[in-house]
Amino acid sequence: MPIVDCHGHVGIHPDFPAYKTGAEEMLQVMDLLNIERLAITSTLACYNDCARGNAEVDRVLKEHPSRFLGYITVNPNPEGLALAQLQRYAHFHTPPLIKMHPACQHYPVNGPKYVPVWDYANQTHAIVLVHTWDSDPECSPLLLEPIARAYPKARILLGHAGVTWRGYEQALEVAKTHPNTFLDITGSQSHRTILEHCVRQIGGDRILFGSDLPYLEAALSLGRVLTARISDQEKEAILRTNFLRLLSPGGL
Amino acid sequence: MSASVIEPALAELADWNVMDVNVRIGPSGIHGHLALDKNDLLREMDRFGINTAVVSHFTAEEYDAVEGNSGLECEVDPRFVPAWAALPDAFSIQSVSARKPLVARIYCGPSRHNFSTARWCSGPLFEYLQQYSILTLISLEEFHSTSAFLGWEVLKTLLSNFPHLPVALLDLGYRSDRYLFPLLERFPTLHFDCSTYSAAHRQLEATVEGFGAERILFGSRLPLYTPGAPLAVLLTARIPDSARRAIAGGNLRRLLHRGEA
Repeated sequence: MPIVDCHGHVGIHPDFPAYKTGAEEMLQVMDLLNIERLAITSTLACYNDCARGNAEVDRVLKEHPSRFLGYITVNPNPEGLALAQLQRYAHFHTPPLIKMHPACQHYPVNGPKYVPVWDYANQTHAIVLVHTWDSDPECSPLLLEPIARAYPKARILLGHAGVTWRGYEQALEVAKTHPNTFLDITGSQSHRTILEHCVRQIGGDRILFGSDLPYLEAALSLGRVLTARISDQEKEAILRTNFLRLLSPGGL
Repeated sequence: MSASVIEPALAELADWNVMDVNVRIGPSGIHGHLALDKNDLLREMDRFGINTAVVSHFTAEEYDAVEGNSGLECEVDPRFVPAWAALPDAFSIQSVSARKPLVARIYCGPSRHNFSTARWCSGPLFEYLQQYSILTLISLEEFHSTSAFLGWEVLKTLLSNFPHLPVALLDLGYRSDRYLFPLLERFPTLHFDCSTYSAAHRQLEATVEGFGAERILFGSRLPLYTPGAPLAVLLTARIPDSARRAIAGGNLRRLLHRGEA
């Protein structure tokens, strides 16, 4: 079953040497692991320069349109840049895919400067991938609860599902009450039985596979899913159909 | 090990004789919902094709070395190699040595047993471990309450002071290479487990390309983490099959055999 992956990147990383990060090298690994499509965001955009970073994604999409999908990464600073980027790269995908990384940008996801982005996401039924982390003052999953309520047409992916076991519990608390929220299980922490726990809590239809290619090892997340004690149908939903459903116009 | 009990995605592990260097047993005050008793742990090892494991005790990690070693003594099993908790005082060295250990684990971090690994504090302990080639496990989590930089400085000093001590670092995380690689170049007795290390994209391949496979040991962090993740990484790494099998268990068995000799 070909995998559709909701969480990847282009670029390198500041605090460790990332390996084999070129698009061609990523494609080799995607072929090896049967990842048909990967949705990418630019790390340069997350950390430092949205304009150059989103242009980098644009180039990759043009070179490999059948393998990559592009998130438009937004930064609340300077004001106005985020909406300008959303408009400039609106051709990436319909509905739009938007990436927020509040931790990198040192700005809380519920801060007023993000409001225009959330308004835009609500109007366009965008898929918004938000980096989340257990109890983080800028990106705790719990901060997304009032946002999910206020912007019900935005589809919010809780990136990394809060990472730690406690972070997962926070993400589940939000997901249980808001059908427009989804758990993205990308991450380096391979908690035993966490996937089974998530499926028991919210079912298999709002959990998405993500690899974090080319920073994290895609086989890591894949191994977690393939060896979890959940049904084959749930595995297929997580690895493929849930994200495809979101990507289709009007899909929830 | 019977292939029929192994997760289908990992079926090819059946004849690999996988040996895991990073397994814990016993009750946990922090991770109680994940802790496994001996029978459940063995069943989980079966499910992931893990034949044998170096096992340490949560009680030693979270509370006291003597209590932890008593707990570990109660969990003896032919598939376990016990990792005895060691402290730097003479009584502890004597009591660990009476167990004729193949593996010792130290919990030196400030939030654990809280002692220095420098010669002035732990010289006799590490002299003893070095003399008998006892594989010494140190988790990088020991240093989480200090800076990563300080943790690596402590390790560098330890390796310099005891150049023949076989050391296995556990739980490195995937952001370690800028510290780890210079240490690997300088200290041939340094080994590390892949439990959290190989989480970075193609990191295992890059490390094997740069340093060979001999210093990498398979570790899962059972029962906290699922072995399905690092095993999938090992299975799909584009490395020679001989390297894959060495990491899966050959390297660790070689280290333990040296201790026996």
